[in-house]
Amino acid sequence: MTTTAKTPDRIDAILRACRLMLRMNKARPDARKSEVLYYEMLIDYCTQLATARQQGRFIAAHTVFFPSEILYAMDIVPMHTETTSWMTALFLGEYADLLAAGAEQGLSSEICSPHRGLAGALTIGALPRPDVVLWSNMVCDNTAKCGELLMRITASPGFFLDRPFQRSEAEVQYFVEELRDMIAFLELQSGLKMDWDKLSETVRHMDEQIELFRDINRLRQAVPSPFHPLGFLELVTVDYLFPGRPKATEYLRTLRDELAAAVAEHRGAVPEERYRLMTLFMPPMYLIGFLEKLSREYGAVSVTEPFFCNWGEGRLDRKKPLESIAQKSYMLPESHMFGPMSDKAISEIVDSARRYQVDGAIYYADVGCRHTCATIKLFRDALSDLDVPVLTVDCDVVDPTVTSEGEMREKLERFFELLEDRR
Amino acid sequence: MSTVCADSKCASPGMMQRFREANRTFPKSPEILSAKARGQKVMGWVCTYVPEELLHAAGALPVRISGYAKETDLQDGTAYFYVNNCSFARSCLQLGLRGDYDYLDGFVAGSTCDAARRLFDLWRHYVPVPFSHVMTVPRKYSERALDLYLSQVVQLKKGLEAYLNVEITDESLMKSIGLYNESRSLLKALNDLRKLGEPPINGSQTIEVMNASARMPKETFNDLLRELLRDLEHSKQRGKGRARVMIAGSALNNAEFIQSIEQIGGLVVTDELCTGTRYGADPVAVSDHDEPLRAIARRYLHNFPCARMYPSEERFQRMLNLIREFRVDGVISQTIRYCSPYSNDLPLLSDVLNRNGIPMLSLDVEYGTSGSGQILTRVQAFLEMLEARRK
Repeated sequence: MTTTAKTPDRIDAILRACRLMLRMNKARPDARKSEVLYYEMLIDYCTQLATARQQGRFIAAHTVFFPSEILYAMDIVPMHTETTSWMTALFLGEYADLLAAGAEQGLSSEICSPHRGLAGALTIGALPRPDVVLWSNMVCDNTAKCGELLMRITASPGFFLDRPFQRSEAEVQYFVEELRDMIAFLELQSGLKMDWDKLSETVRHMDEQIELFRDINRLRQAVPSPFHPLGFLELVTVDYLFPGRPKATEYLRTLRDELAAAVAEHRGAVPEERYRLMTLFMPPMYLIGFLEKLSREYGAVSVTEPFFCNWGEGRLDRKKPLESIAQKSYMLPESHMFGPMSDKAISEIVDSARRYQVDGAIYYADVGCRHTCATIKLFRDALSDLDVPVLTVDCDVVDPTVTSEGEMREKLERFFELLEDRR
Repeated sequence: MSTVCADSKCASPGMMQRFREANRTFPKSPEILSAKARGQKVMGWVCTYVPEELLHAAGALPVRISGYAKETDLQDGTAYFYVNNCSFARSCLQLGLRGDYDYLDGFVAGSTCDAARRLFDLWRHYVPVPFSHVMTVPRKYSERALDLYLSQVVQLKKGLEAYLNVEITDESLMKSIGLYNESRSLLKALNDLRKLGEPPINGSQTIEVMNASARMPKETFNDLLRELLRDLEHSKQRGKGRARVMIAGSALNNAEFIQSIEQIGGLVVTDELCTGTRYGADPVAVSDHDEPLRAIARRYLHNFPCARMYPSEERFQRMLNLIREFRVDGVISQTIRYCSPYSNDLPLLSDVLNRNGIPMLSLDVEYGTSGSGQILTRVQAFLEMLEARRK
């Protein structure tokens, strides 16, 4: 196991930003208790990552939707590659040097920026060197293909987790066996053993968390919406970083109760809710603060995000932890994005628009994300049947050179005017 | 300055014209339309992980979906696919949207890459056909992956049997395997000619042959190819070049791209394209204790791989073998813009080739490109460098 005392800069910087956010939240008289818990979790995550080397702990870098429940159950420190990239853009706004370092590795500018930035960050030592690299084909070709280069950059061994495209019994079983192989790989590399009781408990928490996600989503149907304009980003982060963690369960329970109280009191998240929006895909992380402010200014609230918040049917069974983790990958709200875009998936969008009474939808067309952008026309056509207008905004999730704050303001203001005219 | 062979000089002009005509008229080639007129079902397929033998054994005519083999404005394709998806997929979809594939009875795809799976989604939605099927294609080569892929082949078989109201027997599968293996064997013979110091057929002509191979009944194609091989055997004309070049990348259908390289002295002797060597690579090997379907599944999953597969080493090793066999001086990698699998592999491929002392020129291209001035300038400089290394 490799250990060095040096803490990489970006994690330290993200940690400082999270601590500042926590202090600010605690100082606000109207702060949500759940928000405090959220920042505490982020701080724990980053602290663990920042101190892992000093403590001789084993770090696994892993791509998005990777079942980190397994890592937690093995006491392995996870480093979520895409979210670490996003947090760098969100909290620090510093990304150019990472993209430049990624380009020096030979990565074309057409590869999505979080992956290029991540390769760059590991190249220049802005993130801790992982002991292993874990990646999968959830969600796209970039996640499926990034691992071998990351292995080369970090001189670490790696494991590719092959998750089948569709959901037959044979495919779920294939994935279960893949998970078993990965656990064997991790045990061999880390010298740590899988704690099956802990995994079972993690799955139990995850099952409760999925139920809480569903409750929270139902509460968000209320008019006015009780959750803040871009609150879904919190939910997404919680599942990406803390699946099956007890504190995540506590966060979700707290949030659910807060939202239920707000709904009972007809209290909305913004002073005057004017536009109920559907958000399709990820807004630019470096503009989140601005988007939040603009949303409040115009009374625009994202009330539904089908591909981030609509969990599929089913329950997890703690007695069958690996099968449950495999099934969870097909229940994820994002799972339509890495499976066939069935008629059912498309009708779910329309159904969400109806249930959440949306006035319009915003499609954040990330220039680096091909498979999501290929659905723009499908969703636009489906929503037009309900007469829901769709704004498509070209952007990049972390690279500010694609869309500026000014451009974003102009596009959104025009869209809000259109929504106003349609009233 | 060296020379390359034109049709009139080194390949059988009459035979080449047959292949070229099938490509010029595609998708509405006479061979396809007459099959349709005879009442045969026509099945479009996308990506080399779809087992053609199965479609053939079901009595259908398999036709490979491809896009415009020329530089074309992709307005419709872009409107439906968005601009950041690869131009191959946009080009295919545009042809579909404009009715050029309106004879299709079915569309079969694999979950091979983001563009292919979304092409399936969009095709199913906007260019509906009576039968559509997408296969899960694992990304590994393990026995477990083979079992999974086999289960997908079985599912496709059941789907075809139900739709076409036929039984696909082991006997019919063996016949189709025999036919397709014969085709692969003929293609190998064609490619072996390119190992010669002065090959009787050049790269652009080979691409014409390859394009035609998936655009007409295999029986017809094999007959034509046999004739071409006979002609080439007696041909006294030979191509020469400044350097022996391999073309790397995914789909390439525009022979003019290769021709433009050959016109400035590059001797394109091999490729690792999915529309070239990879398509015609390994035969289906049926051993005594093998079920035909399992043999088909093994061939398709373990064939010369696309960049989608893991580990990449398998593809790189196959490329190195070709480089040795065809005495390649340099590799021209043509990556279609927004092709993630190939873009992600490029730094690794570059390392592998560097370690083996093989220079590589990396080009970002649009599918259908014929080689613009800027591309040719870079190719010219690359060929000069290769030529200097040979001296």
